[in-house]
Amino acid sequence: MAILFLPAAGSAAISRGFDRLLEAVVRIDVREIEFADGARRFTGGIGSGVIISNDGVILTNAHVASPQAVEISVTLASLERVGAKLVGWDHWTDLAVLRLDLEEVKRRKLSFTAAEFGDSDALFPGETVFAVGTPFGLTRTLTRGIISNNRRPFEDTRGVRGYETGLFNNWLQTDAAINPGNSGGPLVTEDGRVVGINSRAYIGAENLGFAIPSNVARRVSTELVRHGSITRSYIGLVPGVLQDLEKFYALAVNTGLLVNGVDPGSPAARAGLRPGDVVLTLNGQKLDGRFPEQLPPIQQSIAVLPVGATVQLSVKRGTQTLALSLQTEKLVSRVGEEWAFEKWGLSVRKVTRTYAREHQLADDTGVLVLGVQPGYPAAEAGLEHGDIITKVGNELVTELDKLKQVYGAYEANPTPQLVEAQRDRRISLYVLKP
Amino acid sequence: MRLLRPLFVVLLLAAGASRAATLPELFQERLKSVVEVEFFIQSEIDRQPVMVLGTVVDDQGTIVLPGPAIQPTVAPGQLKEFKVYRAGNTEATRAEYLGQDAYTGWHFIRVEPKLRGELVPITHWPAMKSAPALSEELWGIGLRGKDEDFLPYFLSSRVATVMKLPQETAICGSDVAGPGLPVFNTTGEFAGLALPSFGQNYLVFSRNQHGSPIMLVNIEESSAVQLAREVLPYLHRIPETVSGRPLPWFGAYGLQPMDPDVAKLLKLENQSGVVLSDIASGTPAEQAGLRDRDIVLAIDGSPLPRLKPDRIVAGYFSQQILLHRPGDTLNLTILRGSERKEVTVTLGSEPKLVREAERHYFDRLGVTVREFLNADAISMRVAPTEHRGVVAHFIKPGGPAATAGLRPEDWIREIDGTEITSYQQALDLLHAVEVDKERSEVVFLVGRGAETAVIRVKLI
Repeated sequence: MAILFLPAAGSAAISRGFDRLLEAVVRIDVREIEFADGARRFTGGIGSGVIISNDGVILTNAHVASPQAVEISVTLASLERVGAKLVGWDHWTDLAVLRLDLEEVKRRKLSFTAAEFGDSDALFPGETVFAVGTPFGLTRTLTRGIISNNRRPFEDTRGVRGYETGLFNNWLQTDAAINPGNSGGPLVTEDGRVVGINSRAYIGAENLGFAIPSNVARRVSTELVRHGSITRSYIGLVPGVLQDLEKFYALAVNTGLLVNGVDPGSPAARAGLRPGDVVLTLNGQKLDGRFPEQLPPIQQSIAVLPVGATVQLSVKRGTQTLALSLQTEKLVSRVGEEWAFEKWGLSVRKVTRTYAREHQLADDTGVLVLGVQPGYPAAEAGLEHGDIITKVGNELVTELDKLKQVYGAYEANPTPQLVEAQRDRRISLYVLKP
Repeated sequence: MRLLRPLFVVLLLAAGASRAATLPELFQERLKSVVEVEFFIQSEIDRQPVMVLGTVVDDQGTIVLPGPAIQPTVAPGQLKEFKVYRAGNTEATRAEYLGQDAYTGWHFIRVEPKLRGELVPITHWPAMKSAPALSEELWGIGLRGKDEDFLPYFLSSRVATVMKLPQETAICGSDVAGPGLPVFNTTGEFAGLALPSFGQNYLVFSRNQHGSPIMLVNIEESSAVQLAREVLPYLHRIPETVSGRPLPWFGAYGLQPMDPDVAKLLKLENQSGVVLSDIASGTPAEQAGLRDRDIVLAIDGSPLPRLKPDRIVAGYFSQQILLHRPGDTLNLTILRGSERKEVTVTLGSEPKLVREAERHYFDRLGVTVREFLNADAISMRVAPTEHRGVVAHFIKPGGPAATAGLRPEDWIREIDGTEITSYQQALDLLHAVEVDKERSEVVFLVGRGAETAVIRVKLI
């Protein structure tokens, strides 16, 4: 009897937990601005999300709702639509936080439920999980699978709308079916607790889906609610996998982080760190970076340091052991602010310090041309996607605002503007003619 | 000649031939100026056969081949077994590679003496004094391949336009000759050499594609003809050395045309110019005091011509430099900001080119390394004085280096943790690796753009 009884109680618990969870899952429709092709255009997308607090905070993916969203509409489990606002955004973990329009909820006497988090560190491979979301717009779809791997490294330098992602955390891998539109929806255990936020799947593969672990999502969402964004420290060390190279570097077992690259001009480069070095300790902590899944936690341990903090590295170079000291700087994405100058038919993105380093530019002066509209002055002048505009008239484009000022003056009084742009370090001159 | 000519006419009349009937005769005669050339490009692991058309330019058996016949990275030592075939004749005669002329881009070869008597240089025929008129009929020769016994065939078309690219070039309505072969007018005067064919734009329609643009390039025939007066004065430019040296060096790598709107805004109406940039340190351009953004308006007092499309002027400027020798001086009139200046540049000697670079293939690793060149420093964006390391020139597909992820053009900066400061040092280290049968791996530190990577090559 007891044997028969227990599963029955379990099922009851599952259904109660699940009911609550299903009440908390929402569909998210986003209308947003896109700055491609020399214009400001509106596009739309559908994703999923989960309500995580009684004051209407919704967790979703950064690639579902971004700062370029102009209208976010949330469909509650009760099939009521409510507006929402973006509260915070973090492409590195592919997480975004929205808040329901609580006044509207109150006025229309709507109700919703908040889901509960589970402990993603306690997941084991083989554990049953469910994904809930809106694949291909099919609202409230439930799929089932298992945790295929709970420590999957997944770095993508252009993964979230061209922004970097995945450097600082490992991911959950599941075979629960995850399709476009599942993004931002929860991955839950049998008792309905959120253990992950579904984020991506291999297209063309079968049942290889990935989710952000809930323990990461909890920490990030708390900070996003508080500050709107996450500040991370950066030193410019690009790690490689040490796997099998311990003998070559004459290292003690299970020790060391291989320096695969050092970003030019970065704190690590200025401190004299070189590719091929092996970092033994970071602020006294021993490092072990033999396998890919060991790298994100090490990266995270650097990222959480306060900006400007001092980092002490003990580094092995050949037979020498060196002590290096450096100051962290703020982590900046390669993707800068975007804008469209519509009368020129020109859309641009600010060159950032990271972009400049990656492309070996002298500094972060300039804006990258994202696109031009045929028949408009920028296209007529001969500007093309990929050109970097460094100067307009006598104004050096150090900030996007400088270009906005020039454009403002042009709008008031259209006169030909001399533009200096470079491509692959070759400088060309163009004229934007009214 | 006076005596002969009437006789010739009489004979023609006797044969009852009209004027058009002379074309087959002209065709047969002019065939002696064209050849097909076969050679091999020897790479580390295979040899690639090449067939190309050539024109005979003197009594010494000198033949010019179009520039694109050989990739610029191929070393002259890799070019093997040049064989020359006459039209419709499968007998092969050996020839020697003489090098490439930088100005025209032509490759020169010289055939063995025994065939020279059978060939007639293009200079033997009268040449057109002026550009052909629009609609004038031109004709030329095409040659089929080896399996068709190099069968010659006749092509003709009319001149559609004449353009400066920057050389004067007649564009015909359809193909007039095989690329690299001569073109004539109806009286048999030499009109020019057919260039490698220009691409033609088409749209592809299919069940899935509704008018997708593609470009088609005819590799067997061409409708573009570089005019005789752009060809004949340069036929004597037979390279002094197989490397093509002496080669002048200016040293500004960004040469962008000044577009007419920019000229107007800078109050330079009706002037042409080239915007200089990417001037590396230590180059003649830098030593002459030229700077990024200087606009060259004239060379030795002659204003740069206005050419269409605008970008042609950059090619014109480069070619004017290539007409000089190292040590020559050029007086450039430039615009810097709003100020006009005269700058004298003393041309240097072009630093070693990829085709001249020392290189060595390591079979066990499956990689050819070559010395680090000035051109590498420029593309890697390091100071040319920081010449260090070697460059992976060739990676054997499926070989150990390829499997480890080494790629062509990777900059090898360290081998087994030792910083590479010279080509010889890299060779010594890699030789030691190759002969050491106990060795199971070698570790490279490579640079690739702004990135670096530690690459471990497992040896078999």
